[in-house]
Amino acid sequence: MDKKGSYYRYINNVGWIYVAPALLLYVGLLAYPILSSLYLVTQKWQGYSHKFIGLGNFARMFRDGLFWQALGHNFLFMAIQMPLMIFLALILAVILNQGIHRFRGTFRTFFFLPAVTSLVAYSVLFRIILQTNGLLNSFMMNMHLITQPIGWLNDPFWAKITIVLALTWRWTGYNMVFFLVGLQNIDTQIYEAAEVDGASRLRQFFNITIPLLVPVILFSAVTSTNGTMQLFDEPNVLTWEGGPANATMTVALYIYRQAFVLNSDFGYASALSYVMVLISGLLAFLQIRFLRERS
Amino acid sequence: MMVERKISVSRVFLWILLVIGAAASIFPFFWMLIGSTQNPNDVVAGVLKPGNQFSQNWKYVSGTYNVLRFFLNSLKIAAFTVIFGILVNGFAAFGFEKYRSKARERVFAVMLLALILPQIAIVIPLFRLIATFRLLNTHLAIILPSVMSVFIIFFLRQNFKMFPTEIMEAGRVDGAHEFRIFFTLVVPSMKATFTSASIYIFLAQWNSYLWPLMIILNNVQKTLPIALFSMMRDYTIQYGAVMVVVCISTFPILIMFLAMQRQFVQGLLGSVK
Repeated sequence: MDKKGSYYRYINNVGWIYVAPALLLYVGLLAYPILSSLYLVTQKWQGYSHKFIGLGNFARMFRDGLFWQALGHNFLFMAIQMPLMIFLALILAVILNQGIHRFRGTFRTFFFLPAVTSLVAYSVLFRIILQTNGLLNSFMMNMHLITQPIGWLNDPFWAKITIVLALTWRWTGYNMVFFLVGLQNIDTQIYEAAEVDGASRLRQFFNITIPLLVPVILFSAVTSTNGTMQLFDEPNVLTWEGGPANATMTVALYIYRQAFVLNSDFGYASALSYVMVLISGLLAFLQIRFLRERS
Repeated sequence: MMVERKISVSRVFLWILLVIGAAASIFPFFWMLIGSTQNPNDVVAGVLKPGNQFSQNWKYVSGTYNVLRFFLNSLKIAAFTVIFGILVNGFAAFGFEKYRSKARERVFAVMLLALILPQIAIVIPLFRLIATFRLLNTHLAIILPSVMSVFIIFFLRQNFKMFPTEIMEAGRVDGAHEFRIFFTLVVPSMKATFTSASIYIFLAQWNSYLWPLMIILNNVQKTLPIALFSMMRDYTIQYGAVMVVVCISTFPILIMFLAMQRQFVQGLLGSVK
């Protein structure tokens, strides 16, 4: 009996030894810095020193028009880009799954390719392609699709479109692969039964495919919500530091600029970070509840 | 007859849609190759014919710009992150899954909270910590915080569920030491899982931008994405040279992807299992 007890203790200790390195790194480089920085929220930076201002940073946040504008951009990108991308990915997945029989693998590879490139590398490529006298404008003018070059990077409205297009280019194929896997798990007999009942292809799509894919679609929605909330690379490189005139400024980029570019105000940046943690947590909570209700 | 015709028209439409989509997806890759052989003006104007400036562009990025150094920096950082990441996260996932206890389940639940933390919220306090330890401008500062990944632990743990515990018991009966079980029984039979995780870690680190941007300020320590960003900052941008660097930072990933596509996709799909 005693021997068995000591064996369990031994096995339990082995378990702790296995998780110890990860746990140490988690505590030291994640939990500790975040929790210990909680006090930074109450500090105001003045040059190299800082002083206590209580909730002053949050008061400043409520008056800070640019922060709200940035937060608005995050939600705007989410509201426009996410449905567009999920719709496109769904269509492509259905076509690859049912519409064609040849070159399926080749198309899948091509569509997936953008998802593996470096964010900075593709942002740089897009930045060159989208210049006012660049490739896309001259192509569209030659095709007589437009008469004036479009300010993809200089016009506040078109710069937002640019971000949406770039995100869609990069992530559509990635989401399509998820949908493809989901589609392949659907029993073909359901479609055969629908065919017998005389349901058209379009009705099959809306009444069978979409409902059965809801879990996968939700997964995509959760992942891209998270991604869009954290959007940083594209507005920093592609539309250059949230430009033009802050038209593509996002919260993450704004926090970064507060802490490292503009005035190294770590207090204000930390306060904004905590607000972002709160928003992300809230969104995650809502999505998990929605997922639970669905299943 | 009518029906057949109708089907073939819609089929043609589908093919056109697919071809346009595929062309849009791969055009930038094709264009970056052409661009690396052109002079700056042709790159910006979007001339689609290969030029003859490749050697000049290469001279610029390798001489003035020392791109080989940045490439090796990126490679070194990604490789070390993969090695330590696989070890640390593999151990943790194995410990959580095959040595279950109430206490460890609670620890795991707390660790999962990190999945919803926005990166920007982590990097600011982490930057101050790294600065206190005087690790700014070191590669260690990039590698260390990316070794432990809750996502990778979660992914590996999901896969370890498929590894039969009976085999571990058999190993114990044969007198294998607890820590040998991991290396001699688990690792060899879960190669595909480890490959997927390695690819995922490599890709994430090779492409990482926000954290290295904060940590690396001097030129010799830069990684490819950071170097590329500073090239775009120059007063006169050498677009041909920029295209060469874009090629260099994209090719390793591209080759890896085409060679190991199955594991690649599996790695990214791991989270929905």
